Amino acid sequence: MRIVMKFGGTSVADAERIGHVAGIVRAAAGKHQVLTVVSAMDGITEQLLEVADAAASGNDLRTGELLTAIRDRHLACAYALGAHEHVRPLLEGLEAVVHGVLALEELTPRSTDAIAAFGERLSCAMLAHVLGATPMDGRQAGIVTDDHFTEADPLMDLSMFQVQEVLGPMMDKGQPVVVTGFVAANQHGVTSTLGRGGSDYTATILGSALKADEIWIYSDVDGLMTADPRVVPEARLLGALGFAEAVEMGKFGAKSMHPRALEPAAAYGVPVRMRSTFKPDHPGTLISSAPAPTATVVRAVPMLKGLAMLTVGGAAMVGRPGSASEVFASLARERINIHMICQSVSESGISLVVSQAQADRAKAALERTLRQHGLARTIDVRPGVCVVAPVGAAMKGTPGVAARIFTCIAGLGINVIAIAQGSSELSISIVVEGQSGPRAVAAIHKEFGLQGDQPQANV
Amino acid sequence: MGLGCARRALCRYSPGVRIVLIGFGVVGQALATMLHAQRQALERRLGAEARLVAVCDSRGCALAPAGLDAPTLLEAKAEKKSVGDIPGVGQRIDTMRVVLRTAADVVVQTSPSDLKHPRPALDHLLGAMRAGKHAVSVNKAPLAVAMPALLESARYNRVSLAYSGTVGAATPVLALAARLATGDTITGIRAIINGTTNFILSRMAECDEPFEAALAHAVKLGYAETDPSNDIDGIDTAMKLVILANHAGGVGKGCSYSDVSVQGIRGLPIERVREARARGKVIKLIASISERGLLVAPTEVDVDSPLNVPRNMNAVTFSMHNAGDVTLVGRGAGGAETATAIVRDLIEIGTR
Repeated sequence: MRIVMKFGGTSVADAERIGHVAGIVRAAAGKHQVLTVVSAMDGITEQLLEVADAAASGNDLRTGELLTAIRDRHLACAYALGAHEHVRPLLEGLEAVVHGVLALEELTPRSTDAIAAFGERLSCAMLAHVLGATPMDGRQAGIVTDDHFTEADPLMDLSMFQVQEVLGPMMDKGQPVVVTGFVAANQHGVTSTLGRGGSDYTATILGSALKADEIWIYSDVDGLMTADPRVVPEARLLGALGFAEAVEMGKFGAKSMHPRALEPAAAYGVPVRMRSTFKPDHPGTLISSAPAPTATVVRAVPMLKGLAMLTVGGAAMVGRPGSASEVFASLARERINIHMICQSVSESGISLVVSQAQADRAKAALERTLRQHGLARTIDVRPGVCVVAPVGAAMKGTPGVAARIFTCIAGLGINVIAIAQGSSELSISIVVEGQSGPRAVAAIHKEFGLQGDQPQANV
Repeated sequence: MGLGCARRALCRYSPGVRIVLIGFGVVGQALATMLHAQRQALERRLGAEARLVAVCDSRGCALAPAGLDAPTLLEAKAEKKSVGDIPGVGQRIDTMRVVLRTAADVVVQTSPSDLKHPRPALDHLLGAMRAGKHAVSVNKAPLAVAMPALLESARYNRVSLAYSGTVGAATPVLALAARLATGDTITGIRAIINGTTNFILSRMAECDEPFEAALAHAVKLGYAETDPSNDIDGIDTAMKLVILANHAGGVGKGCSYSDVSVQGIRGLPIERVREARARGKVIKLIASISERGLLVAPTEVDVDSPLNVPRNMNAVTFSMHNAGDVTLVGRGAGGAETATAIVRDLIEIGTR
């Protein structure tokens, strides 16, 4: 088989773990054609962004501290692996860029990317050295993006063509290659980064271009679960899942994949397997276009906590075209992300779910634009809510699923605050009080028999 | 956006359509001749003067922001010199630098189609578009291997990529395909799009001549090159089929050369031609798009089929879902014919 393997930050957090990852890659390379994609060491991307900010604000002391911390951690790791000759020039390059920012006290998105990219370039150099592989950054691998630095979008057709041209022959020859995740370049060769989805996105772009048989995404968890095991102790690992289901689960939990990263794999039909670095023989969760059918209608019950619900009300909104657009525009101007939207057909109110942390800013923004113009009469904030969102492809077209879900929530005396369901019918989002969330999740999990047997995928 | 407006402020000379021409062989020279001879007519059509600001051949480039003199360029070629050796304007400079750095509006790529080495021409086209210049190509190889990527680059950089001369030369095969796909669905295409092989096959059928003799005759008349592999092995036909398929949309959208099953006519036994004739058929090198995929192969067609065209003619039959069959017949190659297609592309870009 042809496999693209991607290792996350915790998998390459120190010398010992990099050695362990190298072992996994070597074992796989004995059986398959393998391409490796690697993230920055755990926590390094955050530190690099912090150093960029410190330099931009002219804080030379903090800049120096952070650079030293980054340098020490990488050099310690590199010496242990014998890769210091490869790491030192990269660290010098990083310091040169940071000192440039410090001298100008100016940070553009373009220089942010130049700095952030060093995390992956450093980890890539070390892993490639241990494996005796060719290190490549995303630009060398052929990934081309637009000029939207820090959140660049790939020019997909061009990237697909170039990746095939560059990496295809190397894979055919069985030549070992390690590619930086997250890092790419615009068409003029200036470093950019992929933002949301990051290294996973790199892996799925490369896997799709190379027509890989599977893309393996390694992290420190076994795969996707039917529910958060801290909430439901009997939660189980999901053996197989459809792309559409995985996309629905994308924003729940740090270990799921960003929907953007799943997109190329879904479009080109390349299955993605999420698995654990610490259990290399465990098959994990296989996400594919046509997963084997399962007996359970609801496949998983994820939950999103720390939310607030805003309700904008007023008779002036009824039957007035453009009122919803003003609500969303004023939140967009404040760069507030809206998790969920509800409006009843009466049009007398729109309810929005946002992060608790952004709730006050959101309210203020709506007050400014809507109250002043007399468009809204009331703007209420209900803090401390959570969204429970049962997911399952078989929910589509199965009558009575919603009734079962609401009956079992009602049986616990939990009040449903709001409901949203898109026409994809793959999931229902239910807003409940924060402290009721875990009980609602546990009840739905039990009602649909998710603690029972789940068919496991075969490797 | 019309030509010449983007960088007009940077140009010290009179605005107009500033052209970088890559490749100065038969087609390139025909284009230079045409731009020179018909400059007044062209200026009326474009609303601006079209001038060659750079011409590159395989050995060097001639550069003149105010415009190069076509007779001087043609004279150098007649003396077997590179345009890079023309005193005053000639330079030994890398073509890619000229593409990226010259103040120009359009880059026209006329170097020969080499499927094995599409890279320099592909880089020139991508480089031109990246630098904000429109691109015109009659070189088929870059399009055959990377058409979706080239189209994406044109969209992203908001420039035009035109290639109407790659299929059918002056015969507007691609324009007809696009027109037909508007308002109806093209369900299949059967095409004779290589004049050399059609000449050889016609000669075999009409004169009862074996393949080798017919090929020798084609070489003698200048219809085939001394190395005819590109034509007789079906490579040229397959490259054109990929371009046609992508342009027409539908079944073949997003395809590239590796998706085509290719069989040429090299060594086709005269017996097969005779047997076909006995059954009222002729053998043609047919490129086809259908639900079975993209195919190039010697195929029997009825003697009275509109595809049974003589000599080095081209013919394309589009099968429409509602409107039935539409067939276009015309000459598909030649320096002047191909240069005409380039002029057509330039006018279309310039007046868009």
